[in-house]
Amino acid sequence: MTERPSAVPSAMQPMPVKAGIGLRAPHMAEVSARQPAVGWLEVHAENYMGFGPAFRALERLRGDYPLSLHGVGLSLGAAGGIDDGHLARLKRLADSLDPFLVSEHLAWCDTGGVYLNDLMPLPCTEESLDVMAGHVDIVQSRLGRCILVENPSAYLRYRHSPIPEAEFLAALAARTGCGLLCDVNNIYVSSRNLDFDPLAYLAALPPAAIGEIHLAGHAANVVGDHTILIDDHGSAVSNEVWALQGDALRRFGRRPTLVEWDSQLPALDILLAEAAKADAVCATLCPENDDVQAA
Amino acid sequence: MSRPRNPSQLHDLQCGVGQAVLGHDEESIVAAIMGDGLDPAQRLNIYRNHYNASLGEALKATFPVVCRVLDPRFFAYAASEFIKISPPRQVCLFEYGEEFPDFLAAFPPCAHLSYIGDVARLEWLISGALHSPAFPVIGSKDLAHLDAADYPQLVFALQPSLRLIESRWPIDRIWHQNKPGSESDGMIDLDAGGCRLEIRQLGEDVVFRSLEPGEFVLRSELAKGRNLDTAVAAALVCDPLYDTAHGLRRLFADGLVTGFTLAPKPGEAESVPAKQP
Repeated sequence: MTERPSAVPSAMQPMPVKAGIGLRAPHMAEVSARQPAVGWLEVHAENYMGFGPAFRALERLRGDYPLSLHGVGLSLGAAGGIDDGHLARLKRLADSLDPFLVSEHLAWCDTGGVYLNDLMPLPCTEESLDVMAGHVDIVQSRLGRCILVENPSAYLRYRHSPIPEAEFLAALAARTGCGLLCDVNNIYVSSRNLDFDPLAYLAALPPAAIGEIHLAGHAANVVGDHTILIDDHGSAVSNEVWALQGDALRRFGRRPTLVEWDSQLPALDILLAEAAKADAVCATLCPENDDVQAA
Repeated sequence: MSRPRNPSQLHDLQCGVGQAVLGHDEESIVAAIMGDGLDPAQRLNIYRNHYNASLGEALKATFPVVCRVLDPRFFAYAASEFIKISPPRQVCLFEYGEEFPDFLAAFPPCAHLSYIGDVARLEWLISGALHSPAFPVIGSKDLAHLDAADYPQLVFALQPSLRLIESRWPIDRIWHQNKPGSESDGMIDLDAGGCRLEIRQLGEDVVFRSLEPGEFVLRSELAKGRNLDTAVAAALVCDPLYDTAHGLRRLFADGLVTGFTLAPKPGEAESVPAKQP
């Protein structure tokens, strides 16, 4: 076990009060020029690991907005280990940009040196918990800070997965000191695809560990006689997810909240309007900037 | 990789799921997956579809001109065939597709498009230049302290974004005519001759331009890490009238030199570090 950083979650910088947006390349120039009144920005870390013009543009924006680095490629749940070279690039990025949050996923994507370019589901077993905890320790030690681990959306579950996912995440946070990124859309998508109670999932997450909330849209695909929800980040946040966001806020209190939109990217103003809606929901449910925890 | 672990249930499971997503054997893994009202293979197929679709989109983003030349539907087919034999071994999507130009050049359905491999190579180099850092430059005055007798041994460090490509086809014109947003649809004479191109960052953009033969060889040799003596000699072999002094001044004026070392003279053991960014 490596020595772990003490802050949970990484809170060296003040938490932004207003909601943020996931910044994607087509919006970069417009955000730079307009400097919209959005609370913060989050980027996919891997898109900036060339350290070229896109990275330099992000460096310039960094002076105007709090920034969060969201990784999708560390493969924290891979039994074969994590890529030291990739971790080194993440550290260089984090050291350069000084983000207020760094996050990754409860997932794996590396199988024998081939990357599946997806957040593959992890069976929630004691062995997986050992693997995840070991890798989170390595990452936090290398970065010198705590990270957040996000619950992924899922389209299948394993026959042998005895620990409920939310309890698995709680145990991971307790063992490593990492925070959790609660993706409300992912909870909803997985609950529909795998038939579980999203409120029970929320209730099993430890409020003190929640360092960020994600919101996004999803699509519905018909497979056989079933409707499968696809976490495509390609539309506005659904009414059902807004309702679940209300439940999350009532349980966790105000947290840095982000609206993601990746496919079929809309005009920037539409994305900003979603962030404003997240602010309005939060203002209604969390008028004070205090944590509100369910009994 | 960090600590490889002993073979484990998790390792076996991930190998099995990985093979299924890659389109190989899925029989060995379906028993480990709950159907929950569907065939477990249908659930695996959701991941397989995402894998193929997202990599296809990544290739389309890196090779937009090839996509337009081939037609998007045919490009999607070519990309899917490529993905089958060249799964990504890089985490970052912008690093995926280096072998796609060679694949296209040898892809039988593209046999009538003899230039397509080189157009793809150009796009790969543009993408690489776009994802390269830019280092502080040095000027020729930074060489002032050197003994003139050492000049032949100079090895320059050049901007990481610099790339050079020579083609027997007019790939620059094909690129311009088919770049996203271009409305030009004129004919290009494929027999009109090839080109020698330099690709690099200029400010926050990536640009490419045609170089004369001597300058192309000089910059290519320097980019390969050859010393100045060797690079100049090669440029003069290509073009005996090439003005190498002017060419070197342009190299500095273009902001391409970021450092230098001195290669060992014949009989010396090691290079001498002189200046690096």
